[in-house]
Amino acid sequence: MTAQTVKKVVIAGGGTSGWCAAAALSKQMGTLLDITLIESEEIGTVGVGEATFPTVRTFHKIIDIDEREFLRVTRGSIKLGISYENWARIGDRYIHSFGVIGKSTWLADFHHLWVAAKAAGFGDELGDYCFEHQAARAHKFFTSPESQINYAYHFDATLYARFLRTRSEAMGVRRVEGKIGSVVQNSASGDIEALVMESGQRIEGDLFIDCTGFRGLLIEQTLKAGYEDWTRWLRNDSALAVQTNYPLDNIPPYTRAIAQHSGWQWKIPLQHRQGTGIVYSSAYTTDEEVRKLLLGNLEGDIRVEPRLLKFKSGRRRSTWVKNCIALGLSAGFVEPLESTSIHLVQSGITRLLRLFPISGCGESLARQYNQETQLENERVRDFIVLHYKATERDDTPYWRDCRDMEIPDTLTNRLELYRESALVIPDAADVFRVDSWLQVLTGQRVEPRSHHHIAHLMDKERLRTMLSTVRRSIGAAVEKLPTHKQFLDSYCLEPDEARKVTGAK
Amino acid sequence: MGTGVSNQAVRRVVIAGGGTAGWTVAAGLAQQLGQLLDITLVESEEIGTVGVGEATIPTIRTFHALLGIDEREFMSATQATFKLGIAFENWARTGDRYIHAFGDIGKTTWMGGFHNMWLMAKAAGFGGDLGDYCLEHQAADADKFAIASSTPMNYAFHLDAGLYARFLRRKFEARGIKRVEGKIASVVQNPESGFVEALVMESGQRIEGELFIDCTGFRGLLIEQTLKAGYEDWRHWLPTDSALAVQTPSANRTPPYTRAIARSAGWQWRIPLQNRVGNGLVFCSAHLTEEQARTELADNLVGTPLFEPRLIRYVTGRRRKTWDKNVVAMGLASGFMEPLESTSIHLIQIAVTRLIKMFPFGGNFAALSANYNAQTNIELERIRDFIVLHYKLTERDDTPFWRGCRDISIPDSLAQRLALFHESGFAYMAADDLFSITSWVFVMVGQRLMPQQYHHMGAMLGEERLRNALDSLNSNIKRAVDGMPYHRDFLQRYCPAEAV
Repeated sequence: MTAQTVKKVVIAGGGTSGWCAAAALSKQMGTLLDITLIESEEIGTVGVGEATFPTVRTFHKIIDIDEREFLRVTRGSIKLGISYENWARIGDRYIHSFGVIGKSTWLADFHHLWVAAKAAGFGDELGDYCFEHQAARAHKFFTSPESQINYAYHFDATLYARFLRTRSEAMGVRRVEGKIGSVVQNSASGDIEALVMESGQRIEGDLFIDCTGFRGLLIEQTLKAGYEDWTRWLRNDSALAVQTNYPLDNIPPYTRAIAQHSGWQWKIPLQHRQGTGIVYSSAYTTDEEVRKLLLGNLEGDIRVEPRLLKFKSGRRRSTWVKNCIALGLSAGFVEPLESTSIHLVQSGITRLLRLFPISGCGESLARQYNQETQLENERVRDFIVLHYKATERDDTPYWRDCRDMEIPDTLTNRLELYRESALVIPDAADVFRVDSWLQVLTGQRVEPRSHHHIAHLMDKERLRTMLSTVRRSIGAAVEKLPTHKQFLDSYCLEPDEARKVTGAK
Repeated sequence: MGTGVSNQAVRRVVIAGGGTAGWTVAAGLAQQLGQLLDITLVESEEIGTVGVGEATIPTIRTFHALLGIDEREFMSATQATFKLGIAFENWARTGDRYIHAFGDIGKTTWMGGFHNMWLMAKAAGFGGDLGDYCLEHQAADADKFAIASSTPMNYAFHLDAGLYARFLRRKFEARGIKRVEGKIASVVQNPESGFVEALVMESGQRIEGELFIDCTGFRGLLIEQTLKAGYEDWRHWLPTDSALAVQTPSANRTPPYTRAIARSAGWQWRIPLQNRVGNGLVFCSAHLTEEQARTELADNLVGTPLFEPRLIRYVTGRRRKTWDKNVVAMGLASGFMEPLESTSIHLIQIAVTRLIKMFPFGGNFAALSANYNAQTNIELERIRDFIVLHYKLTERDDTPFWRGCRDISIPDSLAQRLALFHESGFAYMAADDLFSITSWVFVMVGQRLMPQQYHHMGAMLGEERLRNALDSLNSNIKRAVDGMPYHRDFLQRYCPAEAV
């Protein structure tokens, strides 16, 4: 048996990233590792009430989370997609839902039938052929172990980190409170050997995970991995975040992303409150104007003082350097438009588990990890840039510049292919699949000049009947669902409350 | 939606050349899009096809399902046998043998492949050969075969390519494929766009179309001679450039696998069909003359050759653009890779499938062809890497050819994969990979590349439980194989060949 040389794993920083890493490593490889997490209660986390992507559910399976408990503890709600308002034109609205649209065959995806129908003058909205889309619009939801419905969550990120902390500590993760004073590197190899706390305590490790946020204490300040700036494509650099009380009787099962003067506003509904805020570019507006805009149209009472965040979109050039792996904000930042930040953290962790350097950090493992990470990040970036590029708005300099910007070649190729043929070809590194691209392309008013003629293999009447059958059967199924609020009330009650309500013993 | 979105600008498809490629394209298009297209196939009985008795990989079954082909009917018509993998003999060292079987090895989890468990067992001093944990491997080694839902196996076929083209023609010609007999005299291009507008036959007949499929073989009459798409030579990675092909009578055994036996400057194939055996020698003319190759092949044949071995010369590589303007090249016109991993029929079938999905109904070609070419390129490069792997990982130094292979500089993409496996035991299937993790592992381990490390997923199981898990896996496989009939007996019952 080959020697295990990596045993002591040190996670620098708590927050969502740090505790996700601790939870997964302890659950999956706990018997082989000693895991220490360092965090300081004095350093705040950035988490501002988070929206997620459905892959979060896969990650939760890996760490064996009970969904009811998780939703109850984090005051979470269900997310079936994102509602985009005013993006292509003022007054427009579309939903990027997480569902499958219609039924595709190997020959052609469903939307080629839909495009043909529209050209022939019939057919409804694209989302009418998607269960999750219809359910989102109706504010309805239900799930069971047999259900195929695809969804993610909204939750309170601070409560989430606390929830994961409890689980991780129970699995043997040691938590050290305090601030890191300095980082000790091996003078010959440059590997990190230990973190020295302000208290003087020295924490040694074989592998270090940098979850220290934007500053990247290990990956950047110590190892100088470098940062690739993506501001030319993603110009927002600021966010102002706040929480409000929320009218609790009608919780939409989706995030709202409403385009504003020089950015956009999010609305994330939790069980007990709403997270909201504006993401914007300080090159086009001022912090003060944004503050006025945000506070001027709040729904419900404000719960906390607005927090201002500054960031630079981009990616760390290498997220694994020597014996250090960066996760979360220290690995890069893409604005929360498609709720990808927690996904990228969790995807990084599962990648680390697959490529775990149990016998030392060889060059080829790090290279593989970095290549996969880079590709994944660039695909996410392209998808987000699409929302800005494919706008017809010209009412502010911000939107005109978005519309006119140069975009990455990879995105240009996708757009041209879609315009020419209505084809969306998934790439293996894509988090966002065909139906995601399609809903956003369509919602942003990108129109194909041609399409696959699969529809012409059947006569028009059959196509018409088929489409309306799909739409109506989805509609009938959605009709029977409880509302999202009803679902949450029955699903996430404390066990004793649930007993009271249901009368069960 | 814009107006005119439903106009169909491409209706007439002209396939230049028959053979396996031509008839596969014709069958695929006719079956899936026949109602929308006018399909013409031009071929000449005077021009021979290269087909020499072919081995395939399991993807052929997916393609046949798309065509609605009945397996028994197809097998009876083409003298086909089953193929569970390829036995590589004398590759890493003279005397070595390993099978690249098509099945899974053990049970893989999201965290890592089964081979990590196996490597841990080997390091601790227990466990059998890798192939002991693969059903297809064990069945192949025992000359057994069965189709049973209780023990599903992943398989491909050996078939007679000439009969295969004839079978496809017989099944699909009546579906509206117009066949034109004769030789193509010239190609007419639009003077401005350079698009191909028509083929003019030696008879003077003019065949017009909007889309042309070039299946004219190595010469690439449309893609190269007309459109000058260019060719990327890969002989610096894959130095063989010649093959001698011959058939011999059936032997006593009908193994359900192809044999690939390394020789002095290349390798010899043995492909068992129902009525005979396809044989051949792939070699590098820089190290072996035609005369020497004929002798080496003759010395290593079982049974009397049924005819004088035929010589084929080729240049390994790929057409720079397989789709250029309104011409799509398929088969040998699109590039050539030696048959070591039986990928040529697969490449035709995947190209047809891709074309059907990306069919340029609207008459716009630029983005579609760029995307099609990008997909084709990456896929070919992955296959190339897999084949180069067999040569690079040799320890043989008994001939200049093998020394040259061992010392060859390989593509970065392959070098990285090998380093990764060697350092950490990590093997992966990239998105564009045809070959699975299992395939990579079978060949890398078979070629004696043993990882220095591996994922410690097995350590969490504990040694005793791992030992038991491996034992029971192996005995379950053994029991399943014991219950299977011999391949030859199964063929007799399942799909006896039609009288020729």
